[in-house]
Amino acid sequence: MQNRIKGTDLKLRERRKFRFPYLGIYSILIYIFLYTPLIVVVLFSFSGTKSTVSFSAVTLKWYQELFQNSELVSSLLHSLQVSLTAVLFAIILGTSGAFFIVRVNFPGKRLFITLSQLPIILPGIIIGIAMLIFFINLKVPLSMLTITIGHISFTAPVVMFQVTSRLLRLGKNYEDAAKDLGASPVKTLFLVTIPMIKTAIIGGALLAFAMSFDEIIITYFLTGSWTTLPVYIYGMMRFGLSPQVYAVSTVILLFSITVIFFMARFTGTRAEELEVKK
Amino acid sequence: MKKEKVIKQTLFEQKPRSFILGVPISIWLVLIVLVPVVLMFIMSFKQKSGYEIVNIFTFANYLEFFKNETYWRLMLKSFRMAFIVSIVAIITGYPLAYFISRRLRRFRNLFYMLIITPLWVSYLVRIIAWRTILGNKGLLNLALLNLGITKEPLSIFLYNQVSVVITLTYIAIPFVFIPLYTALEKIPNNLIDAARDLGANEINTFINVVFPLSLPGLVTGFMLSFIIALGDYIIPAQLGGNTGIMYGNVVWAQFGGAFNWPFGSALGFILFFVAAIVLVIAQVFGSKEGIFAE
Repeated sequence: MQNRIKGTDLKLRERRKFRFPYLGIYSILIYIFLYTPLIVVVLFSFSGTKSTVSFSAVTLKWYQELFQNSELVSSLLHSLQVSLTAVLFAIILGTSGAFFIVRVNFPGKRLFITLSQLPIILPGIIIGIAMLIFFINLKVPLSMLTITIGHISFTAPVVMFQVTSRLLRLGKNYEDAAKDLGASPVKTLFLVTIPMIKTAIIGGALLAFAMSFDEIIITYFLTGSWTTLPVYIYGMMRFGLSPQVYAVSTVILLFSITVIFFMARFTGTRAEELEVKK
Repeated sequence: MKKEKVIKQTLFEQKPRSFILGVPISIWLVLIVLVPVVLMFIMSFKQKSGYEIVNIFTFANYLEFFKNETYWRLMLKSFRMAFIVSIVAIITGYPLAYFISRRLRRFRNLFYMLIITPLWVSYLVRIIAWRTILGNKGLLNLALLNLGITKEPLSIFLYNQVSVVITLTYIAIPFVFIPLYTALEKIPNNLIDAARDLGANEINTFINVVFPLSLPGLVTGFMLSFIIALGDYIIPAQLGGNTGIMYGNVVWAQFGGAFNWPFGSALGFILFFVAAIVLVIAQVFGSKEGIFAE
């Protein structure tokens, strides 16, 4: 009798101990899957021969060619112009919009929120078509202006939803406290509200910048003879992959990693720390 | 008495002023989002004649979609492809999200960031990378040749549906991972402890507690990945070859070579309609936070 209890007890304990096996190994394999392609691109950018396979000599030749390629440099400058403008507008539209949907009650608010999510959740091709038809109807020639407006369509909601979730998480208590202690609305805005949401704005702006700098699906519809960097690279890709493509990819990769580094500093747990510290 | 008056006053003062906050974003919403989409909708009822677009009202473009097998078959194909991509992305992303959120203690943020990072790496760069690996002179062929498995480079890797699925899945994984991770991380530890105390092992706990609680994240992840795969036209064009062509490619073709904008708009609106259905389903069953929530 006692033995039997002990037996089942042991079995139960064995059964309880069971955990999913190989989860760690599976995860490592996925990390390899995610990173191998990126490493391949970097390696190929240093390959000495034009044939994409052999590494007969390590060279920086393709990087030199890159900076001598005036079309590429000008499309890079175009991209920076478009992205910075689109992000600037996104900060103004997104931050004021976030306060509007969090702090102001108005009829049809849910519909308003759903509709303003459309540019980031609809397939890009739809926004591309719609924008193209819009500009042709207005008889605006395809140019930097059309691309920039196209980009504002998705950068604004990116900033808006980052700031919205921060505002929702922090609540209105700090601002109310500031007002109770006699701070003027302007003082409250600059000493309480803006410091609290600053990192969310910067994080949202960086995300919006990264998306805009990289955008091709919408841009490809709105580009005339005026090219951005992704449009230029896409043009290069259609004539096969030259080592120059790898070199420019590596430069972009480095640039993205820098942006991620800053992103990691500006988002994440900062706001919670703020709440705990009081 | 006094307090009420103050409240009334601030309400009265603040309301019209706070509506000013909504002016810029409302202009944006109407001018940059709604008007273009409505114009696309109107365009889809017009008709192309020669190189002109005729201002008549006709359903011909929509009828063409249903009459001509090519188009609705491509929609079905894209739908199926998007479904496969989302399933594969979930099979890849779920165990990963589970592992990072529930098993790891140290370096959890680092491993989380490592999954998110490819999301920040240029979309075109990731396509270039997969073309390099799967191509005729690509790494996969090189490895097979060197190992003596094949004698000649195989062209089976590039320019077919499999390479499109691989690349789309690669793009989709972070989008599936983020909502899943958020859902899994939020499950309170004491729920899991309670299940354990009642004698459940990890599998029982997973089936009865963890998995049901992660469902909203799963639905959101599936939806995001599905929509990304459904409308993409760059990846099929770059990796798909003749068999890999998807719906997005024929939509694009109407604005490029074919120059049939009304028909292209109708095809675009059908895509809009399909995406909207998926989004509504996700709104009902998915998590309430979007992917861009902090």
